[in-house]
Amino acid sequence: MALAFALSPLAVIAFGAMLLMLAEAFSRKRAGLALGATMIFAAGCAFSAGVWMNGLDDVDGSVVAPWLVIDRFTIFFQGLLCLGGALASLLAGGYLREHGIDRGEFYSLLLFATFGAMMVAASGDALVLFLGLETMSIGAYAMTAFRRTSPRATEGALKYFLLGSFAAALMLYGFALLYGATSHTDLAGIGAAVAKGGPRTPMVVIALVLILCGLAFKVSAVPFHMWTPDAYEGAPTPATTYMAVVVKTGAFAMLLRVLLTCFADKASMSWSSGWPPAIAWLAVITMTVANLIAGQQESVKRMLAYSSIAHAGYLLVGVVATMRSGPQASASVLFYLLTYGVSTAGVFGSLILCGRRGAEAVSYEDLAGLGRRHPAAALPFALFLVSLAGIPPTAGFFGKWFIFRAAVDGGFYALTVIAFVNSVIAAYYYLRVLVYMYMREPAAGAPFATPMRSGYVTAALIVSAVLVLVLGITPGTSLDVAVQAASIFGGG
Amino acid sequence: MSPTEMALGQAYFWICATLALTGAIITVSAKNPIRGAMGLLLMILTIAGLFLALHAQFLAAIQLIVYAGAIVVLFLFVIMLLGPSSTSPHDGRGRLPRYVGAGLFAGAGVAAMSLIVRNAPQAPKLVAGVGNDFGSVDAFGRILFSHGLVPFELSSALLMVAIIGAVAVARGRHKDDPKTPASPTSEGHE
Repeated sequence: MALAFALSPLAVIAFGAMLLMLAEAFSRKRAGLALGATMIFAAGCAFSAGVWMNGLDDVDGSVVAPWLVIDRFTIFFQGLLCLGGALASLLAGGYLREHGIDRGEFYSLLLFATFGAMMVAASGDALVLFLGLETMSIGAYAMTAFRRTSPRATEGALKYFLLGSFAAALMLYGFALLYGATSHTDLAGIGAAVAKGGPRTPMVVIALVLILCGLAFKVSAVPFHMWTPDAYEGAPTPATTYMAVVVKTGAFAMLLRVLLTCFADKASMSWSSGWPPAIAWLAVITMTVANLIAGQQESVKRMLAYSSIAHAGYLLVGVVATMRSGPQASASVLFYLLTYGVSTAGVFGSLILCGRRGAEAVSYEDLAGLGRRHPAAALPFALFLVSLAGIPPTAGFFGKWFIFRAAVDGGFYALTVIAFVNSVIAAYYYLRVLVYMYMREPAAGAPFATPMRSGYVTAALIVSAVLVLVLGITPGTSLDVAVQAASIFGGG
Repeated sequence: MSPTEMALGQAYFWICATLALTGAIITVSAKNPIRGAMGLLLMILTIAGLFLALHAQFLAAIQLIVYAGAIVVLFLFVIMLLGPSSTSPHDGRGRLPRYVGAGLFAGAGVAAMSLIVRNAPQAPKLVAGVGNDFGSVDAFGRILFSHGLVPFELSSALLMVAIIGAVAVARGRHKDDPKTPASPTSEGHE
């Protein structure tokens, strides 16, 4: 019984998705679907919280072992993914209706793809990991291509699909090699065999490189980021939110799980013979390149795409820090994912709110003078941008603070300085939006954005704004939760 | 196993492997899409042959039925339906970077493989104790529905999302005019 309860977040999303499809097929009303999907996600969050509070001591996972691992890390990520899904489906409820693409498949895709992401977070075996990854990715590809008449959407989806399949194949090859080297597909078994293996065999190293390539693609780290701006820009904005929040969170769950389970031995986690230097370089390149390009964008949506790449860089700094700071660093990554998720969902929601059918807010000029014309739409936008820039008293500040502190505690001073300089560069292009909103007026005759009205989008913005402020003022409780979730990884 | 049998097995492997590689090269290099599909077919058939050599009869059969029987035929149908006019004219742009990229990739792959092979233990250990029914439908089904039940059930989510995704993308096409409702059911509300 305890096991059934521990698996309930997964079950709620799966059965909820099926119910939603049935409801769509047999009902003539379309409007309830967004609300239904949000409720299912909320139930997923609630069950995750319930499982968390009930504790996992009496859960006997031997029935689902080694395929699924039910621990605090899993439950934390399942709750977080459900939260991201709920915000994305609220945004979809407003956006799809406004832009005339309100088809029920979107919500089913959203639910099933989130189910895939939750599978990834819970996976204890490479096979389940890959199944979950593909479920998540195929849902994201289809959501990107949802607006088929737009050539941009098709281009973005095709790039995402081709590069994504290629990256998944690389990763699968890596796991196949690992299976050859260790004759295990379960992550714990691989980890034990790799730790016992003594000197690094080329097979394991090549497998690690291939797996890292696949993971770097999924978290969209430079130089595996080529698909990100096009896919993010072409996709309907709720799908962009989904990719930036849920897919990225799922990918980081996978990254932490694979690296800290399979490659957690002394040799693999050392600077001289392990993965940390590779991740560190990836982090430095990702942050720097993404921030420099983001500053040059003229489209706000594209700028936010590059900003999401840059945030993957900060998160990778936290992953590197797990080498010496152990659970403290993984906890900082988990907490950052939470703060980044709510801020990003909020900022994309604000962008949705600022546009109308046929007149989506895209460029900086579109937003000129918004603060004076529509203060109610500009204020949340400003709040989320400030949070992404990492300025107190918002969630983003503490997210960055804990990552940087974990890096400093681990002795990665150079990395911390680079990350800090990068967040200063990033503040430039976030604040540029504020300058346009509050200090510029649209040129005479130029088109400007008129906000839409939607209860769904407003609700999503209120939820995100409350979370951004709460996490920014009292981060203690949620940080404790992240620390407990990360404590399943020992060492350091 | 007698030396003759060993030699025969080796010969069988090399023939299948060479043909599979040839098929793969034809698939990616053929200018005529039909020829490309035929190359794919050759590769799929010879990979099924390799599965047979590994005592995985059931996988070999599935490989033939699903890939050769269904997927290649589907490809051929699509190519026939689109007709020859839909193949884009030969595009010479970016040829050098493409070849350089392919060369780099192939070089890295060969280097990685040779590293693995050179550092491998002398000879791969023969797996002992494979039962007579290894690879049969019976054994396969038993594993799939007992030990592997969890991933088997989870894979249904993957199939589901692929079906819904295909429907979502295909339906999106017939809605050029944003003023037409998504479907008759979306009318009449609000």
